[in-house]
Amino acid sequence: MTEIFSQEKLKDIEEKRREWEKGTYQAALDRMHAAREENRFYTPLDIKDYDFLEKEGFPGQYPFTAGEYAAKSPGSPEIEDSERLLTQATLYYSGYGTPEDTRDYYKQMQAMDQRVGPNLAFDLPTQLGLDSDNPVALGEIGRTGVAIDSLRDMEVVYEAFVNNLDLDKIASSWTINAPASIITAMYAVLAKKRGIPLSKLRGTPQNDILKEYIARGTYIFPPRPAMRLTRDMMVYLTKHMPLFNIMTIAMSHIQSAGADSEGLVGIVISNGIAYVQMGIDAGLDVDVFVKRLPFLTAACTTVEIYREIARARAFRRMWAKVMKERFGAKDPRSCMPRGAWGVGVSGSAMVPQRCLNNLTRAVIIGVADAMAGGRATMTCYDEPLELGHSLEARQLNYDAERIIRYEAKLLDVMDPWAGSYFMEALTDEVEAKAWKIIHEIDKMGGAVAAVEAGYQYRVCARGAYERHRKIFNGERIMVGVNRFVGPHELDVPINRHHPYDAMRRENAEERQIANLKELKRNRNNKNIEVNLKRLEEAARDETANLMPLLIEAVEEYATLGEICSSLIKVFGTYRGPGL
Amino acid sequence: MCLRLRLHGISSARRPLPDNTMEKQMDNGRRIRVLLAKPGLDGHDVGAKVIALGLRDAGMEVIYTGIRWTPEEIAEVALQESVDVVGLSSLSGAHKKLFPRVVELLRAKGMSDVLVIGGGNIPEADIPYLEEKGIRKVFGSGSTIEAIADFIRQQLI
Repeated sequence: MTEIFSQEKLKDIEEKRREWEKGTYQAALDRMHAAREENRFYTPLDIKDYDFLEKEGFPGQYPFTAGEYAAKSPGSPEIEDSERLLTQATLYYSGYGTPEDTRDYYKQMQAMDQRVGPNLAFDLPTQLGLDSDNPVALGEIGRTGVAIDSLRDMEVVYEAFVNNLDLDKIASSWTINAPASIITAMYAVLAKKRGIPLSKLRGTPQNDILKEYIARGTYIFPPRPAMRLTRDMMVYLTKHMPLFNIMTIAMSHIQSAGADSEGLVGIVISNGIAYVQMGIDAGLDVDVFVKRLPFLTAACTTVEIYREIARARAFRRMWAKVMKERFGAKDPRSCMPRGAWGVGVSGSAMVPQRCLNNLTRAVIIGVADAMAGGRATMTCYDEPLELGHSLEARQLNYDAERIIRYEAKLLDVMDPWAGSYFMEALTDEVEAKAWKIIHEIDKMGGAVAAVEAGYQYRVCARGAYERHRKIFNGERIMVGVNRFVGPHELDVPINRHHPYDAMRRENAEERQIANLKELKRNRNNKNIEVNLKRLEEAARDETANLMPLLIEAVEEYATLGEICSSLIKVFGTYRGPGL
Repeated sequence: MCLRLRLHGISSARRPLPDNTMEKQMDNGRRIRVLLAKPGLDGHDVGAKVIALGLRDAGMEVIYTGIRWTPEEIAEVALQESVDVVGLSSLSGAHKKLFPRVVELLRAKGMSDVLVIGGGNIPEADIPYLEEKGIRKVFGSGSTIEAIADFIRQQLI
C-alpha cells in the first residue's frame, strides 16, 4: 500500500482540518444557517490508503477504472454526419403493429437514408411467448412493438433488409428476452434461406433473463429452465455465430425498478457472475465467450451525477477483478467490462412536468457521461411524453453532444476525476457497499437462487418506495414536480406527433390475427406436431441443447406460442412475487 | 385453477401505524381494504409497488397481486378478499380494453359498489372514456399517495 502523503503531512492536515471545522467552517454554517450535509469538503485524509496502480491503472487496461479504451471513440453517425436528415431515426428503438407495418416503417427510414440494421421492439405477447390469437393477448397486439408469431413474420420484417442491407451487412438489435432463443432460431433459418453463412451474422439480443425476474417482468418459465435456454443459446452462438452477442447484461431496468447505485452494481455483477459461471460449466472457454457478454450500463435515473460517475468507475474495476480473480481469465481483454462506458441517460431521470427541463437534466448527465468514460450520448427531452421524439428535441440532443465533445472538449481528458479526494472516496464507498450485496447473494447460492427467493425484487421495491417517499414528502426535490410549482411558473407546450401510422396501430390486432390464421392453413401441421414432440422430449433432458430443435421447429413455421406451450409442459410457468 | 396469492411482507418498510388512524378507517371502524392489480401483460410495476407500500403506511390494508393477472383473476381475488377499492395499473396501452372489463366482471359478481380507480401512463385523451366505463378516477404519473388516499377516503366514508 503506497502513500501519496506521508504520515507527518497527514497529521498536519488533520490538525488544520480540525481548526478549520471549529473556526471558519462553523462560522460559515452559522452565518448561513446551513447544514453540514450540504456543505462538504474532502481532503487527502479521505483517501489515506489510495494506491494508484491498484485502484486506477491506465485507460484500456486492467482494472479499467479509467475506461474501456485508451482513446475516445468517435461520435455516433448522427452527430458526426450533419448531411443526415433529422427525420431519420437511425438506431432508435422502433417497431409496431404487424410485421408489414414495421417493414414499411423501415423502408420509409431507408428512403431517408437509413443504412443500418433494425433496433427492434416487440409487442408484449411476443416477448411473453404468446401468439396473437391467444385471448390473454387481447388489446396488446402490436402496441409496445411488432407482433412476431412465426418465422413468416420475421421474413416480412426483414424484407426491408436486402441487397446492400442484407443480413451479412447489418447488425440486428432485438429487445427480446425469454423467447430470445426462438427469435434467434428464426434469424438463423432466415440466413440459411438467403444463403448467408451463420458465421457472418452480427446482432445483439437483449436476452438477460435474470433482470426480467428482478425488474422488467417479461419472463415465461421459472428461473432455472430459463437459464438452461440461455446456456443452450450461449453454446450454440459461440460455436456457430461467433459474431453474435449472446446478450447485453442490463443495468438501467434495475435502477428504474428502484435499486440505488450500490444495489445496482451489486445485483448486476452478481447476474454477470451467474452467466459467466454457466458458460464455464457448459465447457466454454471463458476468454472466448465473455467477449460476447457486453453490458448495457446506461442507467441514470437521477441527476446526482457525482454518485453516478463513482458508480461507473467502481463497476468497471469490480467486474475486472471478478473476471481475473474469480474466473481466472487469461486474456487481459476478457476483464474489460464491454459496454460499461459512462453513465447514460435513462428516461427515468426525466419527468413529464415542465418537459423542457429534461434537456437540462440530459445535458448534466451527458457531461457526467463524458467524464465517466462515455460518449455523452443523451436522450431527448420529450422522452417521458408519448412515443416518438420531436425533431426539435432530436436536434437539441445531437447539438448538445456536439457541444460537449467539440466546444467544451470534455472527452479530451480520460477519467478526469481520477485522484480527486472526493471522487476516489465516493468510488470506494460505492464499491464497498456493492461488494456487500454480492457477498449476500453469494451466500444465498448465487443470483439464480436469490431471484427464486425474491431477494433482488424486494431490494428494488424497498428502494423504489424510499425514492418516491422522499419525492412525496419533499425530501428529494424535483423541480417543477414537488417544488417551484408556483402559479407564475410556465409550462411550455411542446408540439409532437406520433411516429407511427394511427390507422395501422388501431387495426393491427385484427390484421395480425388474420395473418396467423392464413399461416396455420398453409403450413405442414403434421411435421410441426412431430417437431414439437421431439422438442418436448429433449427439453426433459437437461444436457440436450435445444437450439437445433428450435431451428427445425421454426423452419416448419411452428408459432412462438406453440413452441412455448411445448416447453411449458416441461418447464412450467412462473408467477412473480407481489407485496 | 388455483389462485396462489403470495403476500411478501416488506417488514422494513412497514412502520407502526400513527396514532391518528381513526380518521382513516371506515365508519364501522375497520380499515379500508385495497386491491392493487396489474391486468394484462405489462410488467412495469414500480408505481404499483410504491402505492401499495404508501397506502399501507397511510393505514389501509393493501394487497398487490404482482404482474400479469387477467381481469377474471382480479375480479375473483377482489371478491375473495372483500375489498373496498380496486386499483388497476397499466403502462402498455391496453387500458381501454382491460380496465372496463374488470369493472364489468366486478359488477357481474355483485361488487358494483367497489371503488375502481386506475393509473399508469394513461393518455389524457383516454380518461373520459375510462370514467364513462366506471373507472371513478385516473391517477397518472406524478400522482401522490396523499392524493390517492384522500380520494379513496372521500369516496368511501
